[in-house]
Amino acid sequence: MTNLPPPGEGAQPPPGGGARPPANDTTVGPLPNPTANPTIDTRNERLGDGVNRCPKCGSTEIQLRPSVGMLVCLFCRHEWAEARLDETISNGDLTTLSGTTMGSGAANIDTGAGSLITMKCAGCGAEVVVNTAEQMGARCHWCRHVLTVNEQVANGAVPDAVLPFAITHDAAMEKIREFAGKRRTFADRAFVNGFKPENVVGVYMPYMVVDGNVSADVVGSGEVETRRYTRGSGDDEETFYDADVYQVQRHVDFTVDDLTIEASSERGQMNSALNTNNVINTILPFDTENAVKWNASYLTGFTSEKRDQDVDKMSPLLENQLLSIARSQVASSIGQYDRGVRWERERVQVHGTRWVAMYLPVWLYSHFQERDGKSMVHYIAVNGRTGEVMGSVPVSTGRLLAAALTVGTVIEGIVIAMLGASR
Amino acid sequence: MIAMLLSEHASGALVAASSSGPTWLLVLGPAGAGGLYFALWNYYRNTSKSHSFESETRIEAKPVTGQDTKVNEIKDTKRSGIDGANGTAHRTRVQRLDP
Repeated sequence: MTNLPPPGEGAQPPPGGGARPPANDTTVGPLPNPTANPTIDTRNERLGDGVNRCPKCGSTEIQLRPSVGMLVCLFCRHEWAEARLDETISNGDLTTLSGTTMGSGAANIDTGAGSLITMKCAGCGAEVVVNTAEQMGARCHWCRHVLTVNEQVANGAVPDAVLPFAITHDAAMEKIREFAGKRRTFADRAFVNGFKPENVVGVYMPYMVVDGNVSADVVGSGEVETRRYTRGSGDDEETFYDADVYQVQRHVDFTVDDLTIEASSERGQMNSALNTNNVINTILPFDTENAVKWNASYLTGFTSEKRDQDVDKMSPLLENQLLSIARSQVASSIGQYDRGVRWERERVQVHGTRWVAMYLPVWLYSHFQERDGKSMVHYIAVNGRTGEVMGSVPVSTGRLLAAALTVGTVIEGIVIAMLGASR
Repeated sequence: MIAMLLSEHASGALVAASSSGPTWLLVLGPAGAGGLYFALWNYYRNTSKSHSFESETRIEAKPVTGQDTKVNEIKDTKRSGIDGANGTAHRTRVQRLDP
């Protein structure tokens, strides 16, 4: 719903034509609770690094059962789940959000902290090394206990929350087979011959999930057609237009809940000429409201990728997305400009944000392609919660060209026959 | 053989077309070939796909406010729309104003 005067009834433009705030500017004023704690403690204090046992029988053989979203003890079959993060960080009224708040798992990464973590096995005393860049647990090579990393460390490997896989390996395999099956005819033969959907890998990818309290302004020009007429006749006939030109200003206040942004610099690079990361981006969004407090046992049997981006580095990208959202929000208010609108200036005021680091579940099938000295990894990705699938299948240029030329030739033949018949 | 037949027909058709008008129809073949190539290529590679965060994120917005001020009139233009229209290109960034 908009609160706008019809074109022509607004005030005259200011001298010099510069941008100015709308007369009925509703910019959010001073917000309450300005001394809010900038960090929310999301540590799972029940767990520590090393041996974490089944609460019923004491076994360390624990893993996720995706079909029910619960942790299961492989020894006594006891099932349980960690508490949802929403119980720790309540959404509350996002319009009162001010400043930059972040979960303790989203804190800045200590560039001096390495990926390797050494844990002492509580079962036998051996020291076990875990490379947190790829996994969050390891089996003690002496006593076979499973050791997991649960304490938030400065290298960014332990997030605030994890959203467990709900799509099983078999279901993901089937979705990938169906997706690739529809794209078989013109696919690169190496892809077709090497296609093995059973090689799909479950990966927990690092994201920042952001809530925001935002105001935005956009200024530009819009045109309304007032007359349309033709001059000349026959082949020389031309259409002309008259139009009224307006300076258009819009302001919108809004909140976003769980905007999800890649927290890995490599995955955040979306350049379709060099990579297929856009495919992984496309399977968003996730039901992040169901994320649970961190427990590395959710990652047993899966791989993970460590976060390497801090809030400060991601803020420009966030503002970029907030501006896109603002432009989308005001789009319904410019319908009267039937010749279109050209936005020329824009502003975003971020009153408050809340950042939570999260591992989100993705099934990934990858195919490495090398051609003409250039290499590219093609992904087919399945959202580990919703099952949404998207992918990049390498094409066989020869087959595609042959099909296009055949169709083009047939069309051209028909056209030539038609023209010949009208001779 | 097919090419010879086509070229023979094409030359005749061109003569006919130039005298009767619709020579532009001859671009349908190459256009169809190009269109099919890029449509199939996009179907396989999906390079233009991305997360539609503008519509797939939970957003609560207050009513949009603003002003519309008539500043000029255009007469006798052949342009059917405003130059540089970006009202629906939400991800195209323009000059940033300071917050």
